[in-house]
Amino acid sequence: MPAGHGLRSRTRDSFSRAFRKKGVIPLSTYLRIFKIGDYVDIKVNGAVHKGMPHKFYHGRTGRIWNVTKRAVGVEVNKQVRNKILKKRIHVRIEHVQQSRCTEEVRERIKKNDQLKADAKARGEIVSTKRQPQGPKPGFMVEGATLETVTPIPYDVVNDLKGGY
Amino acid sequence: MSLFELQVVLFTAPALPFASYSRRKKMAFIKVQKTRPYFKRFQVKFKRRREGKTDYRARNRLINQDKNKYNTPKYRFVVRFTNKDIIAQIVSASIAGDMVLASAYASELPHFGLKVGLTNYAAAYCTGLLLARRVLKKLEMDEEYQGNLDVNGEDYSVEPAESRRPFRALLDVGLLRTTTGNRVFGALKGALDGGIDIPHSEKRFAGFSKDSKQLDAEVHRKYIYGGHVAAYMTTLTEDEPEKYQSQFSLYIKTGLEAEKLEEMYKKVHAAIRADPSPKKSGKQPPKQHKRYNLKKLTYEERKARLIERLNALNAAGGNDDSEDDD
Repeated sequence: MPAGHGLRSRTRDSFSRAFRKKGVIPLSTYLRIFKIGDYVDIKVNGAVHKGMPHKFYHGRTGRIWNVTKRAVGVEVNKQVRNKILKKRIHVRIEHVQQSRCTEEVRERIKKNDQLKADAKARGEIVSTKRQPQGPKPGFMVEGATLETVTPIPYDVVNDLKGGY
Repeated sequence: MSLFELQVVLFTAPALPFASYSRRKKMAFIKVQKTRPYFKRFQVKFKRRREGKTDYRARNRLINQDKNKYNTPKYRFVVRFTNKDIIAQIVSASIAGDMVLASAYASELPHFGLKVGLTNYAAAYCTGLLLARRVLKKLEMDEEYQGNLDVNGEDYSVEPAESRRPFRALLDVGLLRTTTGNRVFGALKGALDGGIDIPHSEKRFAGFSKDSKQLDAEVHRKYIYGGHVAAYMTTLTEDEPEKYQSQFSLYIKTGLEAEKLEEMYKKVHAAIRADPSPKKSGKQPPKQHKRYNLKKLTYEERKARLIERLNALNAAGGNDDSEDDD
């Protein structure tokens, strides 16, 4: 009998609950609030059968474009042959987590705004651009001993013993 | 035990105590059931479920707020009964923990004139009423929403006033069995009459008859004013005076008789409506909190204790040389 290609085919492991985390879902999942424009990660919770996204979206990150009573609408990029589509799906809360992908950017923006405000007060100009990591500076090698290694002369008798 | 059986056991296994498996000497004909792999695979239930205090299925349904209502809190009217007290709270849930908006305890009722019978139906009504008035006062809605001033046991629901909509909460009974006439519905009635909007049905109030499918307001009113307690008091004084002395000793001490109960409760309701704010007790919190568990010994103290015990053992062993030491 050939393999089927149903909706939830090949999801035996990805949709299964983690080891020793089965059963009742912690209630903090239901207490989080989502706003339009937030970034969310889609991670399917196999214990909740309603509002499950298709297995393709498991592990994808998208933006929220709609908030309903028990679900959010997420806009996810999907590559179809030679183009990338922006697909809008509705997913129940249990299958969605707040993404930390923009966390670093937001922190940096806050920090930079603070730096710029401070610099303006002092009357200086400060560059808040990130610089790539350059080549490592030169250094002296510590605690190195010199060991001269020379090849030993070839000894036919010993090397061929028992071999020929 | 095959792995499959182990998994079946996992889902149905009751909460087990932690340290029940000790490395004792195995007797030849007993097979150790709870092996190390059993414990490695065992998934504990949530802590409050292990303690038997929270019904997560009900809690989930009470707490879940529509996502398109964002941060709007969903309040629960929590009623819990202990052996000597009634706790009524208005609680909203958050990830950091539940936030209590207002609370009322039956142990506060002595300040309002109710000294005895602090866990009966009438006291539950008073506690619910006290909580409702407190919450409304805190939210500055107590002028608008007076609630039901005519306590006649009939089903009363708050009418929305002009400026603000009524304060809405959902009844949270916890793990109680919701039978008709349960005291938790007395507290519910108190809160309703106090002016809070709680979706309910009259089916479980005391005095609802299953046959006629109607609430007998007279009977409910009797319960709210402790009429059932008064009836018992009169039957006991007639038939079994000694039992009356033992059951109602505190009532007798405060001079309460069966006929005076109703007017006493009326006075308590009036006192609650007049000023529901909590009364501050004059006690200061103690500077040094009382310790309820043993203090952990330091390494030196533990070593010293061990040396003491060994010395005592040796001394005792020296004295009882005739006894066989195992």
